[in-house]
Order: sequence, then structure tokens, then C-alpha cells
Amino acid sequence: MVFIVGDYIAGMLTGVVTALVVRAIVWPGMDMVLGMLLGMAAGMVLHLGVALLLAPLLGMFETMVPASLIGMYGGMFFGMRDSMAAGSRTGTAVAVVGALFGAVVVFSVKLYDRSIRGIVLDADPDEGRR
Amino acid sequence: MNSDTSRKWDALSRRFDLLTFADDRRFGPHKRRLFRRICGETLLVGVGTGNDIKFLPPGLHVLAIDISPKMLERAARKVGGYAGSIELREMDAQHLDFPDSNFDTVVTVCTFCSVPKPIVGLRELHRVLKPGGQLLMFEHVRSQIGPLGVLMDVMTPLVSRIGPALNRDTVGNVQQAGFRLRRVENVYLDIVKTIEAVKGPAVVQADE
Repeated sequence: MVFIVGDYIAGMLTGVVTALVVRAIVWPGMDMVLGMLLGMAAGMVLHLGVALLLAPLLGMFETMVPASLIGMYGGMFFGMRDSMAAGSRTGTAVAVVGALFGAVVVFSVKLYDRSIRGIVLDADPDEGRR
Repeated sequence: MNSDTSRKWDALSRRFDLLTFADDRRFGPHKRRLFRRICGETLLVGVGTGNDIKFLPPGLHVLAIDISPKMLERAARKVGGYAGSIELREMDAQHLDFPDSNFDTVVTVCTFCSVPKPIVGLRELHRVLKPGGQLLMFEHVRSQIGPLGVLMDVMTPLVSRIGPALNRDTVGNVQQAGFRLRRVENVYLDIVKTIEAVKGPAVVQADE
């Protein structure tokens, strides 16, 4: 349970940090493609920092995988949004959307993990019962 | 001996237990379940700081190797707490100093993300296993999920400078090295897996 709550906090934190930093470096009117690329690059660097900080507490894989998706794809989305000045006018709104994005990614990853977890190949089913 | 690999893991040895603290707790039960299958003379490849010794069933005779002397120094402190026999040796998985057909079981835990030439290393494991011997692996591999796999490819050149490669096809490599897959299980997404393989001919079902 502690790990599950921790995973969501880590994802939301990565989303908030990525959203705030992208807001700081992408200005309204910037070419949208450049905004997207800049956001993606920033997100990829930031997620490494946040995830490495939290990995000892929450686990390398469960932290890094959602964080990398939040950093890369969140960075792209936030960069596109901020270059168009489309929504999230205040810093609080930016942080809330970042946290929400992070939580949604963590939830989606957990859901997908649950659907594909388990045996994918068993050439000798009797072996497991011995 | 691959000195670059050795230096990399020597450098990481001081922080390794801290970095893997939570992974140990999350994946410990899966490792314990995999290790229950260990039998006979056993080779543990990439013992690291000895974090996985606590998951081994008692009473085994294990020969544990690692390429990093600093990692082995730390592992030596944990060997005493094991209710069985563990002998530590510094060795490269790509050049095993053992005769052919020497072990009943070979175990690896997050090792083949770091062996520079994984198929060469796996062929060595195949060589030292007795016919019918088993390979038990707990490894992380490249995801087949589109965006995740691409991310792992992008991150690997950076991450592999200080740690493991993220985009290894270890299941495929095991087969290429001559093993027959017995069981593959996803532990976390399709990234963290247990892989069980056998040196020998295809299994004949009991009712055949």
C-alpha cells in the first residue's frame, strides 16, 4: 500500500516539476514544434533527476518507467500547450494539470501492468506443480 | 577481464544497496519463488553486493561470481548469514574459468543487462551447465510496448555509461545461445521478467 501511494506521489511530482519547468522555458508564441521538442528534452532530463531521487524509496523500475513517460510525453504536451498559450494561466493551474497528468500515467501503467503480468510462456506446465 | 565493466560496477558498489533498497522489497517474493527451483551444484553469476543471498533457500552449495572486486567485498559480509555454503570468486561471465558440464543450475539476477556481449556470456553459461541443467534468470529487458521500447532505446546510451543497458532482448539471447525456454513470466510490465531455460532437448510431456 505504501508503495502504491508512493508511486502516485512520485508520478504527480514528476508531472508538476515537468509542467512548471516547461512553462518557464517555453513562451507563448514560440514555434509549436520547437516548444514541443524543448518540452520533451526538458522532461527527459527532469524525469531522470526526480526518478533517481525517489528510486531508492520506491524502486527503480516502478519509478523510472512512469516517470520517463510523464517526462517525455508530458514535456511534449506541456510544451505545445505553452507555446500556444492554451489554458493553465496561473502557476497553480500548471501544477495541478501536471499532477493530474502524472497520476493518470501512473494509473494507466498500473492497469496495463496488471493486464500483462504473469506467465507468458510455459513449455512444461507440469514442472510448476512439482 | 573486461576492465571498463569492472570499474563501472566498482564505482557503483557503494551506492548499490541504497539504490536497490525498494526493489529488493518489491521483487523479493518473485526472486524467492524463482530460487526455490535451484537444485544441485549452483553457479550464481553477478552476485553483486550479495543482496540476493537472503532470497536463496537454505542448504545450497553456491559458487557466486562477479566482475567487480568492490562488489565482492560487500557480498563477503553477507555470505556469513547464509545457512549453506557460498564461495565467492572474481570472474567475467564471458570467460568462465570452469570445465564444461559442471553445474546443475545457473542463476542470474539483473546481470545480462550489464554483460557487454550477452550472447557470448550466455554461451559460457550453456557450456558450464550439465546436459539437462537449468538456467534461472531474473532480468530486466527491452519492452515491446511501442513508446516504452523507444524510450529505452533512447535512454540506453546515457544510462549504460553509469549502469545497465535498458534495451536488451534477453529472452531472444537465451535462445540464440542454445537454451530451450521452459518458462517466461512478466513480473513488472514486460520489462522485468523471470526466465527459465534448460540445456538440452525439448521437454516431452508426461502423457506422451
